Amino acid sequence: MLSRSVRWFEACAAFVEFLCVVLRCLVTGPRYLRETLRVMDLLVRRCLIPVGLAVAPVGAVISLQGAGLFRMFGAESLLSSLLATAIFREYSPALASVMVAAQAGSSIAARIGTMKVRGQIDALAVMSVDPVRYVVVPGLIACVIVTPLLSVLTTLLGLVSGWFFAVPVMGVDHGSFLANLYAQVSLVDLWVGLGKCMAFGTAVGLIAGFLGLRTTGGATGVGKAANDTVTMTIVLILVADYFVSMLLLSLGV
Amino acid sequence: MEFLHFVRRAFVAQFSGPPPRDEFVRHALDAGVGSLPLLTLLTIFAGMNLSVQAYGTFVRFGGQDLLGLFCGVGGIRELYPVMAAVICGARIGATLAASLANMQISEQVEALEVMAVDPMRLLVAPRLWAVTLMLPLLCGYADVVGLAASYYAATEQMGVNGGTFMEQVRDIVHLSDLAAGVFKGVVFGWLVAIVSCYHGYRALKRDGAEGVGVATNRAIVHSAVLCIVLNMFLSALLYVR
Repeated sequence: MLSRSVRWFEACAAFVEFLCVVLRCLVTGPRYLRETLRVMDLLVRRCLIPVGLAVAPVGAVISLQGAGLFRMFGAESLLSSLLATAIFREYSPALASVMVAAQAGSSIAARIGTMKVRGQIDALAVMSVDPVRYVVVPGLIACVIVTPLLSVLTTLLGLVSGWFFAVPVMGVDHGSFLANLYAQVSLVDLWVGLGKCMAFGTAVGLIAGFLGLRTTGGATGVGKAANDTVTMTIVLILVADYFVSMLLLSLGV
Repeated sequence: MEFLHFVRRAFVAQFSGPPPRDEFVRHALDAGVGSLPLLTLLTIFAGMNLSVQAYGTFVRFGGQDLLGLFCGVGGIRELYPVMAAVICGARIGATLAASLANMQISEQVEALEVMAVDPMRLLVAPRLWAVTLMLPLLCGYADVVGLAASYYAATEQMGVNGGTFMEQVRDIVHLSDLAAGVFKGVVFGWLVAIVSCYHGYRALKRDGAEGVGVATNRAIVHSAVLCIVLNMFLSALLYVR
């Protein structure tokens, strides 16, 4: 028990130290722009299909279940308001971030873990290239930028699939669907969604880098790093999401 | 194509006699009990968030008393089964893929074959059975915890009447919905297990540690995406009349 809490404390301290190093690398040069762009390109190409495939069904399911629910009250026209609010505020940011954590987070952690296990990280350090600066920071910046971009795409996809299941499949009137679509959504919702995505993207990049650099052992350690990154980020995203929702509700936004 | 071939082999191995018992029990405990802390934490926050978000949406058109309906339908029919599946894909599936890939690159699978032990029977079948049987239980558990969390958030934090909330949940959620959730759990469990085993089993020795990372990554992503997409079809099948 004692050794466990000591180890936990050690991990926390190491994370704070890691955070400081990352911050220092962010404000000071040299910056590896080419590497950052390469990682961004990779992330967009890798995440596009999983993120799209994960969010489109959610819009469809909201329409399917919501149409039945609102029909009981004869308020089918409100369906599109519910769909738009749910997607803009909640599902598009949260799900896009969860899928980015699953795809980008685990692949970044696995890549850094592999480099660590093979001794390539030490080799970088020997060549006086700071591994955090060269390996972690580009991934972090890429995650921060790519997640909101993907979220914009998923919002559109969610709305389109929601429309498809509401209008042709469930027989909701097309005109009233479009008329009520933006009735409950304000510009604030959009910014809140994008802000959440940036915050969650930061969490993905930081945790993936931290756990990847802490990989020990051989191949098992790499798998464990990738796995732990995903579970920890998903926990963080869902918990943070709840507190953001509460904060927004109490602010009355 | 290769995947279908793997599915066929796994299917034969799964149903040709009971799985090795010790392995099955070990994996079932690991998948079921091992996921409980994570799943509990996540469902509590997801359930509370569902209430908070629904309240924020409904209060705009004066429907905050319908919170029970929304939490019942959205939570029990859709959110909790999918969440249990995605979380388990991320935890159990990734562990399965990593362990199988590790055995593959350290030639333990080949060693089994040399000893005339079918790796499908010894390694894949018990894992498939364990996850397929455990995920429905986890779904049921997530339903209970999530609904309790939604109830707590709705009554304590939003000030919705608790009696109305429960009455609406009883109105809208029938036993058939719970059964549908459990059925989804069985399907997702098998899917997560087979996808993860496939990616773990396919790891190549020459890729080394990188192969394990790739297998883990693919297991997580593919099982999550497949579960979410399949959920849409299952819902359309079960609920659209």
